[in-house]
Amino acid sequence: MTETLLEVRDLKTQFATRDGVVKAVDGVSFELEAGETLGIVGESGSGKSVTALSIMRLVPPPGRIVGGHVKLKDRDLTTISEGEMQEVRGESIAMIFQDPMTSLNPVFRVGWQVAEPLIVHDEKKRQSAMGQATAMLGKVGIPHPGQRSKDYPHQFSGGMRQRAMIAMGLTTMPEVLIADEPTTALDVTIQAQILDLLDQVNREFGTATILITHNLGVVAGMCERVIVMYAGRIVESGPTADVFAHPRHPYTWSLLRSIPRLDADRHEPLQAISGIPPDLIELPSGCAFHPRCTFRVDRCSRDVPHLERVGETQMAACWVTQGGRDLNA
Amino acid sequence: MLAKYLLRRVLATVPVVIGVTLITFLIMHVTAGSYIPGVDLNPALKPEDIEAIKRYLGLDRPLYLQYLTWLGGIVHGDFGRSMIDGSPVSSHILDRLPATLELTITAILLGVLISIPLGVTGALRRGSKIDHALTAMSVAGFAVPAFWFGLMLILVFSVFLESKGLPFLPSGGVMTPGTNGGDLLDRLVHLILPATVLSFVYLSIWSRFTRSSMLEVLSQDYVRTARAKGMSERRVVYLHALRNAVIPLVTLVGLELPALVSGGLVVEVVFSWPGIGKLLYERALQTDYTTVLGITTFAALLVVLGNLLADVLYAILDPRIRYS
Amino acid sequence: MISPLPLEGEIAPEPVVRARQSRSYWEESRERLLNNRFGVAAGLVLVFFVVVALLAPVLSALFTHTDSRTIDLANTFAPPLQGGHILGTDELGRDELTRLLFGAQVSMGIGFLSVVVALTVGATVGLVAGYYGGIIDGVLMRFVDMILAIPAIFLFILMALLFKPNTVTLALIIASVGWGSIARLVRGEVLSVRTRDFMVATKALGASDARLIVRHLLPNVLHVLIVYGSLYLAQVVLIEASLDFLGLGITPPTPSWGNMLTNSDTYFFHSSWLVIWPGVTIFLSVLAANLFGNALRDAFDPRLR
Repeated sequence: MTETLLEVRDLKTQFATRDGVVKAVDGVSFELEAGETLGIVGESGSGKSVTALSIMRLVPPPGRIVGGHVKLKDRDLTTISEGEMQEVRGESIAMIFQDPMTSLNPVFRVGWQVAEPLIVHDEKKRQSAMGQATAMLGKVGIPHPGQRSKDYPHQFSGGMRQRAMIAMGLTTMPEVLIADEPTTALDVTIQAQILDLLDQVNREFGTATILITHNLGVVAGMCERVIVMYAGRIVESGPTADVFAHPRHPYTWSLLRSIPRLDADRHEPLQAISGIPPDLIELPSGCAFHPRCTFRVDRCSRDVPHLERVGETQMAACWVTQGGRDLNA
Repeated sequence: MLAKYLLRRVLATVPVVIGVTLITFLIMHVTAGSYIPGVDLNPALKPEDIEAIKRYLGLDRPLYLQYLTWLGGIVHGDFGRSMIDGSPVSSHILDRLPATLELTITAILLGVLISIPLGVTGALRRGSKIDHALTAMSVAGFAVPAFWFGLMLILVFSVFLESKGLPFLPSGGVMTPGTNGGDLLDRLVHLILPATVLSFVYLSIWSRFTRSSMLEVLSQDYVRTARAKGMSERRVVYLHALRNAVIPLVTLVGLELPALVSGGLVVEVVFSWPGIGKLLYERALQTDYTTVLGITTFAALLVVLGNLLADVLYAILDPRIRYS
Repeated sequence: MISPLPLEGEIAPEPVVRARQSRSYWEESRERLLNNRFGVAAGLVLVFFVVVALLAPVLSALFTHTDSRTIDLANTFAPPLQGGHILGTDELGRDELTRLLFGAQVSMGIGFLSVVVALTVGATVGLVAGYYGGIIDGVLMRFVDMILAIPAIFLFILMALLFKPNTVTLALIIASVGWGSIARLVRGEVLSVRTRDFMVATKALGASDARLIVRHLLPNVLHVLIVYGSLYLAQVVLIEASLDFLGLGITPPTPSWGNMLTNSDTYFFHSSWLVIWPGVTIFLSVLAANLFGNALRDAFDPRLR
């Protein structure tokens, strides 16, 4: 029984905009255990990135965390001071972002940027920090790291920049690494390499990893468990293999069905999900997915379903499946 | 690398230099025609004499040859001769250049050193009362006519204070008559009002620009990365962000150099500051076309040089330029 | 498409999808502008000055009962409110207020004329340079670089010496440099719009260059012109006032706010109000044009507030 590293309980984050209050994260709860790989899947606007930013308390204004808590071991990250949070960021929890081209500071050398958390958090001397940074750059697969660490970001290729970002996140040996769409901005061939790297890092350093993506294939390759988000809420969670084989929520089910298959009949139409993503200011009543749901019943438009155990290993927030219906039959 | 970039920049100025000298030359010669100084004043001159003078001055040659002579002269530092007394323009320029440089460089430094903190404050406290106040001040500052502002300052800090028997600032000149420029404090005191007036307008523009540059930088992904690394807000703002935000300011200052030199002229006139702007003004009042032309050309070349320096500074600050 | 099916025996209600009203860019911008109280106020002040400029003769007949050139050597430097002169008289006994009113004609007249000319020329050059790119762009922009490299006032003085300007020629002189910045601005905007999908698509439909430039490119760079027009107006008023002050622009007896200050150093100690009035009018009109320009910019692009 491994320890629970991160506990997110009923997290709510909202953005106050001119047109109304956007409920980007609307009551999200999950746990992360030491060393495990968790995938968070959802389309744009599902709240997956905002969840990650909320954990880091990096939600940009006019966003605010309005409810719930996030516990790192026994510490409630939502209540500690900003100064204490700064000590957590980059040291205990590291986050890397989608676009490595714009995520690295163009005017500072890469080696220095990778070493910076060591200098600031671990108070290492510059020389030894640079040495460690160079070593880490080598570990993430950058050739000639000693030379490369003196280069500037624009001299790196896209894949190499993302590797450098990963190195930057790992130098302080954090317990949790959050990767927000780390491969989306990269070429397909490089994507595979980066995912392999993340996998390797997780195994070698034991860093618990949260991988946020809209790409089901990415999750299938790397994550032990997966959480599916829709309209700011978790609709399903469970071991990846089980969720993919037996989705217990109509949204997951529709997503999996919509993936084009190489072995399908050429003339079979693509199965898209009907309707459009919901307006996060005026969410549909009851279950947020019900307007687009094949399986909906009367109750779905009235009551908001909660995450309950459905099947042996999975949890889903759906009246229909909680009522015993098997979507795959 | 850096050297290659600089070489490219220097080469790029060549067409500009040619263009500038061509423009000033054309304005002068095509529009004014072939003038002869003092011709109107001497009715005894016969047409043959006028022709002889023209030939002597080289005004009968084709236009392009005249231009090439003009350009060649400039390359050697010859900016023509005065119509009034035939004295070489370049010697006047050399006389007065130090004063103009003193004024202009001080104004730039003052402007930049004050704009940056003001701009950063405005960006960090965006939407607050301070931000609104700073914005209001800069918008107002930009609307004040420089010459009027100078007059007002003289009125208050020089004339008024003096009449009350209080210590006052001098109303003009580089130094107190009688001293020969050796007293640094005296020179500084004389510099205060003119430098303040000249930098004032640019302060307004630059602080707003720094503010918006800062806001732009603060919304960049790499700032988010710095915060995600757990860097303190101070470090994020003053190290990660500011370093990027000042780069466009260098470009802006470079772009504003012509305006700065222009503004310098007005300030020099108001404060009787013996620089090349005031020189041009004096000569203009005497309709000494050639001197005016020569100084204008020189001022343009000065601006081109200033831009080159700005480019160098830009390359130092922004590694993307150096290594591309 | 998977269409939603109700389960047997249960009726699924029709989901209600409410859409929010959409508005065009221009409507949104106008709304933002009208919501900006400072901007609207600035715009009104600007209109006020224009009206004063247009109605100067009428206003002076109504309020000051004199014209701007009547000299009264017995009554020089009269303080305000004395002898029917609301703002006093100047060094030749001329009524200050009337001169200010007519001065508005000069400033606003030269200002607007210069703006119109500079915008027209600058926009044309910018559109052509940005659209065609290549050599045309290179040559045009180099030319602009050269013009902008020469300190403007120096150039204006040189030209004023040669041309002995009246209001129209002075406006043209000032515009002869001003169009350069506008051309650069428009070109920059064109470069960013030119590559957008709708441009490529319209061209693929067979639109000619002229049509593309005028009917598709121009409307999208229009906001830049509008914003800069106001800001440039402010600059022109300042430049023109400076030239007049130096005695190298509009010269007396024609009153202009700038030349009303030309010899002020000789009398500003005993009649300082004479130095204040023209400065204030210049300041207010420039401020209004600037604020309005800023308000327009915020209305069109609120992101950088």
